[in-house]
Amino acid sequence: MERKKRHALLHWLLDYGEMLLGTGAEIYRVEDTLLRIGQAYGVDKVSIFVITSNIMLTLNYADGMELTQMRRINATGPTDFFKMEKLNALSRRCCREQPSLEALRQELNQLDQPIPAIWLYAGRILGAGCFAIFFGGTFLDGLVAAFFGWLICFLQRKIGDFCPNTVVFNLICSFLVSLGLSILGELVPILHTDMIMIGDIMLLIPGLGFTNALRDMLVGDTISGVSRLIDSLLGAAGLAGGVMSAMWLIGG
Amino acid sequence: MTGEMILQLAMALLGSFSFSLVFHLRPRLWLAASLGGLLGWGTYLLCSLYWEGVFVPTLIASGIISLYGEILARVLKAPAPVFFIPSLVPLIPGGSLYRTMSYAVRGEWTYAKVYSAQTVQSALSIAIGICLVWAFCVMATRIRRHILASRGRAEACSCAAAATVKSVKREDEKKND
Repeated sequence: MERKKRHALLHWLLDYGEMLLGTGAEIYRVEDTLLRIGQAYGVDKVSIFVITSNIMLTLNYADGMELTQMRRINATGPTDFFKMEKLNALSRRCCREQPSLEALRQELNQLDQPIPAIWLYAGRILGAGCFAIFFGGTFLDGLVAAFFGWLICFLQRKIGDFCPNTVVFNLICSFLVSLGLSILGELVPILHTDMIMIGDIMLLIPGLGFTNALRDMLVGDTISGVSRLIDSLLGAAGLAGGVMSAMWLIGG
Repeated sequence: MTGEMILQLAMALLGSFSFSLVFHLRPRLWLAASLGGLLGWGTYLLCSLYWEGVFVPTLIASGIISLYGEILARVLKAPAPVFFIPSLVPLIPGGSLYRTMSYAVRGEWTYAKVYSAQTVQSALSIAIGICLVWAFCVMATRIRRHILASRGRAEACSCAAAATVKSVKREDEKKND
């Protein structure tokens, strides 16, 4: 009975870690949180190693029992601060009052929901429009950028799952947007296509990935930092490849 | 303060707000994250009056934003990235990345080099700014803990002893269950 409970705790911790990593949390946050929860549930020593694609967890109990599992993380979802906050609050509660494992399992299942589409659409449309104006475009440029922001979100939801990774998606998406925009710019000469394009690039640029990668490295999680850094550089390369090939096709 | 600057500040505010939508931030924190964007871009504009180039102004702006995030995280009891990630978005070098590409396609390598250096500089300075503040916060917490510990050592000892007794009792109770 006790053994079963301990196994359930181990699997719950792995699910929790996977979900927290998927919300875009830093590596040290995931490690630290799992450590605290484990200790709150009477584990003598928690050994944990998290990188972006893998979680390894060993629980050592005072009576000599040792449990180890690893979890392969295939895809990390979009950054979701709502879920991150909820998971954070849940871990605090775990340390304070140790709810039963059934209750914990139920809470985790409740949290396992994707971001509502309306948030993503609204954010991208507004974001593209704002940044086009921010970088020096007119109000009309903002409107056009907002339309292409909608297109990016639409593409992400329709073809995002079919793309093998962000590089290919960024390549296709930025190529289509850039091509559409260049053609529109030829038809309507009063548009500033470069400002509009910058507004839409802001949605695709892996700037936060780059920042997170360097932060991971400086905090001490060098392996994850390096893999995130390469991810973001490849994303930027995909973006640049798409935009530049469309520009080249249209003729500078 | 020109009209262009005011427009930029307003758009930085709205831009940070839009990214807090994309990142599914809870509505109660929208204002805090958006104001962070305004604060960051304001700092950047102010600093760029005194320093040449993008490196130092971006560094200071990102430092100020992450300090803002760390403070709000303690006040509002939420993880710090929730505040500083949307606020940092206006500092991301989308403009210089685009100009690098556009000059590279036209074969104007002198300009392409200038803008690619600028892109790398801003990206690096954002990350360095965050890390400096992070390191500072960790050190401040440890030093505070150390001072508290050495000041009330006798008190802390008795507290710790009481806590151990309590935890032993609790474990005994659990075993009985």
